[in-house]
Amino acid sequence: MTLPKDLVAASATPIILAILQKEDTYGYAIIRKVQEISDNQIAWTDGMLYPVLHRLESAGFIDSYWRKAENGRRRKYYHITASGEEECGRLISQWSVVEKALQILLEETHT
Amino acid sequence: MFDLESQIRKWKTHLLSAGSLGHSDIEELESHLRDSIDELTEREITQEEAFLIAVRRLGDVSVIQDEFAKLSTEDLWRQLLVPADNPLAVRRNRIELIIVIGLTLSAGLLSKIPALFGFGDIETYNLLYMKNGGLFAFAPAAIYFIWKRSLPLLRSFIVLSIFPLSAFLINLYPSYEPHHTEFLTALHMPIALIFLLLYFYGGPAVRNSKSDQLNGQAGKNRTGWQNTNTRLNFVRFAGETFIYAVLIGLGGLVLTLIGAGTFELIGIDVFPFISAWVAPFGFFGLFTAAAYLVGQKKNLIESIAPVLARIFTPLFLLILLSLITAYIIHPKQAYENRDMLIWFDLILAFVLGLSLYSMSAKDYTHSTTSEQFVENGSYVDILHKPHMLWDALTLALILSAVIVDGIALSGIISRLSAYGFSPNKTAALGENIILLTNLILLITGYVRYFQAKQSFQKIVEVQMRFLPVYAVWAACVVIVFPPLFNFK
Repeated sequence: MTLPKDLVAASATPIILAILQKEDTYGYAIIRKVQEISDNQIAWTDGMLYPVLHRLESAGFIDSYWRKAENGRRRKYYHITASGEEECGRLISQWSVVEKALQILLEETHT
Repeated sequence: MFDLESQIRKWKTHLLSAGSLGHSDIEELESHLRDSIDELTEREITQEEAFLIAVRRLGDVSVIQDEFAKLSTEDLWRQLLVPADNPLAVRRNRIELIIVIGLTLSAGLLSKIPALFGFGDIETYNLLYMKNGGLFAFAPAAIYFIWKRSLPLLRSFIVLSIFPLSAFLINLYPSYEPHHTEFLTALHMPIALIFLLLYFYGGPAVRNSKSDQLNGQAGKNRTGWQNTNTRLNFVRFAGETFIYAVLIGLGGLVLTLIGAGTFELIGIDVFPFISAWVAPFGFFGLFTAAAYLVGQKKNLIESIAPVLARIFTPLFLLILLSLITAYIIHPKQAYENRDMLIWFDLILAFVLGLSLYSMSAKDYTHSTTSEQFVENGSYVDILHKPHMLWDALTLALILSAVIVDGIALSGIISRLSAYGFSPNKTAALGENIILLTNLILLITGYVRYFQAKQSFQKIVEVQMRFLPVYAVWAACVVIVFPPLFNFK
């Protein structure tokens, strides 16, 4: 089961922000992390992550810096800002409203 | 034999081709691609297969380019231009070309308005044409931006009305011998009008209440013409338009001269026709045409202009240094010859323009974003990594500009105390003080940047916030000076 496009688009921002809340990281690692936590069910086209990251950056939710990895490759790391954390909290509470509503409906149909 | 490096290079060229991705965007995607390939080859997949899979995972190049192009409204035009097979885009391109040609011609027609009032001869009434020239050249460019950027019509037309209103004002002001205030108007009018053009370039500032609330920092998110990046883009745009205009102008001049020479050989004197029609239409229309070309052929000029900036920065430094040397050898000249002061100011204006331009052409995502190194297991933030030689050269240029400006200021002040306030000297005094403030701001910015106390972005921000000061002063010279000095 893979998620439909609309749901992927809507969930991208909270997922990215939540990942960055844990630690600064770079694009490729974000993709791997998403695959790992969703059992490959959330499948992003790798390249589309970057426009989203840039949009979040220009909105001031994250900022970025370049860093050299041990193998000499330069990677662009992203770091969540204070307003990004605020936004993350807001989005996640919105999602939990939906989740809770679905949960209640599910319980009602089973009882 | 599969050559990974050459394949990656080809892929990068392909990404670059649409022009919506910057070099740092591509570097980021490349590092993603390489990570992806590394991981795949660990699973005993050949390099060639790994490359293909990794590219495929990154997604359709044209879709990525489109997404990047959507990122900033600044780059919206690229979306309109790139897919030439899209019938809507083709139509819009054709309409744009017609509009640009129309506006270019209308600039020439505007310049014939004085002829209706009996001031047709450009050579006799050159001051009149000089002071109105900015209006003829920039009003059509402003209309072009209103169309191009689909600006809100009502507000745009209110701002656009500044053009005719200022035309009334400067032409209704009387002018008496020796016409100094009129000459100052001619010099300052274009400066004020360029800033007016910034409004049309960036569009009106929209208060985005939603994002303001979110960030809790009302007023920090400047949009439209107030936005720092927009202003920086405008500086770059102005510099590139200037280069284009000079190139096309020179070409036009050569062509006109050859044409006129040929006509002369067959016994027809076309010079009256040229000076009455070809020259004004060509000259005043040049700016709109150049503005259009800068947008159309962005990639082309983007690669020439930074090179020009790099060539001229050391050359200007040499000129400034030799000026300083000349002053040390003949200190009195600077005070006695008033023309010298004007030349000093002219060079300083160019230096400022150049440093502004090289600021806008600098790809500072590379050199200023912080780079971290692992040290004792913790990340040490090194705030910046300046492009040392280049930044040092720019700083040297600005420092010597301050010295030259100091010489000019002392010259003006000594002349002021000797001959009293005249329009020219007062205007020069104001300009030099503003310039000095600006240069000192730049120097403190650069010093803090070298000490790694602030990012380059901060210098740019301060500089862009300072820009309107010039516009206000220029407008002041145009509006207030004539009555203040009895229109002399």
